[in-house]
Amino acid sequence: MTLTLTSLADLLARLALWAIVAPLLPGLINRVKAWVAGRRGPPVLQLYYDLGKLWRKGVVVSTLASPGFFIGPVVTWVALLGAAALVPLGPLGATLSFRGDVILLVYLLALARFATAWAAWETGSAFEGMGAAREVSYAVLAEAAIITAVLTLSVHSGSLSLAALLAPTPGAGAALLAAGWFIVLLAENCRVPFDDPNTHLELTMIHEAMVLDHSGPLLAVVLHGAALKLMLFAMLLVQAVVPLGDLSASVAGAVLWVGVLGVAVGVGLVESLLARYAFRRVPLLLTTAFLFCWFALMLAWKGGVA
Amino acid sequence: MIPGALLAIAAVATGASLLSAGRAPRAWLALLLTGQAAALGAAGWVLAGGPEWEWQGGLAIGGEAVQLRLDAVSAWFLALVAVVGGAGAVYAREYWSPEAHPVSAGSGRVWWSLLLATMVLLLLCSNGLHFLMAWEGFALAAFFLITLDGQGREVREAGWLYLAASHAGTLLLIAFFSVLAARTGSWELGPMRDQPGLAWLYWLALGGFGVKAGLFPLHMWLPSAHANAPSHVSAILSGVAIKMGIYGLVRFGGWLPVPVEAGWLVLGLGVVSAVLGVAFALGQHDLKRLLAYHSVENIGIILIALGLALVAYARGQMAWGELALAGGLLHVWNHGLFKALLFLGAGAVLHATGTREMSRLGGLWRAMPWTAALFAVGAVAIAGLPPLNGFVSEWLVYLGLFDALNPPAAALPALPAIVCLATTGALALACFVKVCGVGFLGAPRTEAARRAHECGPWMRGPMLVLAAACAAIGLAPAGCWPALRSVVGSWGAAWRDLPAPESLGTLGVVHTGLVLLAVGGAIGLRRRLRGRWRRGVTWDCGYAAPTARMQYTAGSFAGILTEWFGWILRPARHEERPEALFPGRAALAEHTPETVLEKVVVPVARWVLRVATLARRLQHGRVQAYLFYVILGLAALAALVLATGP
Repeated sequence: MTLTLTSLADLLARLALWAIVAPLLPGLINRVKAWVAGRRGPPVLQLYYDLGKLWRKGVVVSTLASPGFFIGPVVTWVALLGAAALVPLGPLGATLSFRGDVILLVYLLALARFATAWAAWETGSAFEGMGAAREVSYAVLAEAAIITAVLTLSVHSGSLSLAALLAPTPGAGAALLAAGWFIVLLAENCRVPFDDPNTHLELTMIHEAMVLDHSGPLLAVVLHGAALKLMLFAMLLVQAVVPLGDLSASVAGAVLWVGVLGVAVGVGLVESLLARYAFRRVPLLLTTAFLFCWFALMLAWKGGVA
Repeated sequence: MIPGALLAIAAVATGASLLSAGRAPRAWLALLLTGQAAALGAAGWVLAGGPEWEWQGGLAIGGEAVQLRLDAVSAWFLALVAVVGGAGAVYAREYWSPEAHPVSAGSGRVWWSLLLATMVLLLLCSNGLHFLMAWEGFALAAFFLITLDGQGREVREAGWLYLAASHAGTLLLIAFFSVLAARTGSWELGPMRDQPGLAWLYWLALGGFGVKAGLFPLHMWLPSAHANAPSHVSAILSGVAIKMGIYGLVRFGGWLPVPVEAGWLVLGLGVVSAVLGVAFALGQHDLKRLLAYHSVENIGIILIALGLALVAYARGQMAWGELALAGGLLHVWNHGLFKALLFLGAGAVLHATGTREMSRLGGLWRAMPWTAALFAVGAVAIAGLPPLNGFVSEWLVYLGLFDALNPPAAALPALPAIVCLATTGALALACFVKVCGVGFLGAPRTEAARRAHECGPWMRGPMLVLAAACAAIGLAPAGCWPALRSVVGSWGAAWRDLPAPESLGTLGVVHTGLVLLAVGGAIGLRRRLRGRWRRGVTWDCGYAAPTARMQYTAGSFAGILTEWFGWILRPARHEERPEALFPGRAALAEHTPETVLEKVVVPVARWVLRVATLARRLQHGRVQAYLFYVILGLAALAALVLATGP
């Protein structure tokens, strides 16, 4: 890959696109939830207002916190943005594409997790430690499911770069893969039934529990990163399942964005219709996601070898 | 010629360092560093593409002419010995200073020189007999270093366990080298792929070298030895000494005609070591024991790569084999660097607080900012996270494993290996979040942790160098490729001139870009926050006066995961529950034993001892009975001859 000025400009434009569009999804999910509950609900752009407000606020930092408390959210955000930069955008493809980029993506997500959990330890709070413990523990199962999904796509396409992985027509296992990946999306983004993003306290036991002591611009960075992560998972889900490569460029682009919105609506519906699961059932649900991906892999393997 | 001269300088300097070790610590350090620098230079010369160096001496030891050879494979390991050996020697100047340890500091220097010398020798030997001698010398030097602080019972027990396990492995190696010599007619070592009758010998090598490498379940000596040794010794044991086992497996994997099944077995053992190593690490509360279990995990990752490479070589699949082998070899280096860094960091903590128990630490970043930051670099690297070196080697291994799935020679076992490798990564991340969080962040849990102090420049310097090396390999991975290419080429003759994966350079660019972006982001946030932030008590949903004891503990943090692995970890739990209306004392203690040692090896050893005790009754000193045995024996022989005779 040669890093020319055009590709650099293209990369920056993509990063800007990700950063600007991502906060739309949580707003949309909330809108769907409000609609199902018969409420009017907050505006779709609420997260933008929140981010703006938080950015202008001051910060109270725990007396125990080291500089790592400030660096943690930045590293998380950069890792997620870097991961987003690797994801191809349907017909636009990817600027930054190389063999093995998908593994970098998976490990960038892990880096984000490390930085968030590190910052959670900074405050010496048992609640945040508990949240971090749950995050890193459940991520073990989620990561197994994610890598199995990657394996499925890789076996199916015979390639190891995201652009090529997501290009071919999905195989017979697409439905299984979609189900598995959707569950992982819910878990990794701390949505119902794994977690409840509605409040900071008793209901929110994993992700939000880790960031209880973040405030002001720090919290804004955390929230924006979470929105980026949600869009990243939705983007991957749509491209892995919908045969965008068979459509003309403009139609494919439209389908991609409609698909991402559709995922957000799906998350909103799940959140409206389900309650949060008891914690001992979380590993079972994640194992189910892993098995969905594993069966998809077995189908792809059969198809690939035969 | 040049490597020969450099190695001669190294030999002279190391020899001279032995003489000065007792009285003149400064001269010892200078000589040792000169020797290591010279050895590093020789290794670098060969790795940079220089010709192999061979030397045949006039003198004979044990009836065999001394024969030394430095090829790229040896040079790769030699360079690691030199770097970590030098770093550890500098570190020891402050950590195991003559003032604090008047008796053992001197002998520590002697054994340190000997350990490095024997390791270099065994890397250079191309004669089986001399290899065994160097191997034994190296094992003994390591034993005396482990038991340097001979006061504690735990230390002595760990030392004996190490010695026993090491000799069990050496027995297998004696068998291996003697059979090899008997079959080939000479003690000389070299490529012998054209003799298919030797294939089975790799199983013996796997046992012998496997004990030293610490692969699961032969690792049972490793945690206690690495935990109880002085920290600079732990660093070289974990970073370098166990790699000598890997060296043996790599070396003879390249020279012997290894069957495909052995490759799969190595891969399987690697998977088991990786997953269970990190699972055991999660259950530990002792900082150094935890790090020791991570050695088992990383050896597992290296073995996954090696196993795949062996399979690929046997099947003639260059495409994935070379990537896996390159990844595994790079991981040898990476693990050597970051594990040494972590052990030196743990040593600094031990030095400052006097405890390895994580539940007695906490909040150390305030007193020890350098150690905390450098330990964090090591933690990110060992968890295999970008942009540091651990990720680069794991990434290469992943590429090899994924390529093994391609249709013409699709290798199904690579599927579970990939899933387990990813799981291992996630578990290691959890474990190192735990270590960093409990040890360095939050509030100090004890008075000792509150009174901690930063280590001095002699301890900080080596850690800085190791951390810088971790960062350099992460940010410019393509720079390692020429060296890796010569190693892979000298390992398997068919794999010369392998092309660099073009994405390795891109990976380096992306890593650098991410670092720049993070630095930029941090500066931006700093500007934003200037004058807008203040300190306050941890909010934690409204606690007015949180105390240090209310913090989350290491045990609870790892609780979910250790519960999943309860079937093998078998944690021992002692609890006194709070009872009655006005509960008195309550206590909870949890301890994860070394399951293989305590549930398998110790019972078997007891049983053997019991049988042996029974056998001793036959020997009681009564001559009449002995005559009776002789008559019985003769009668049995006579019966045998009569029954089977013509």
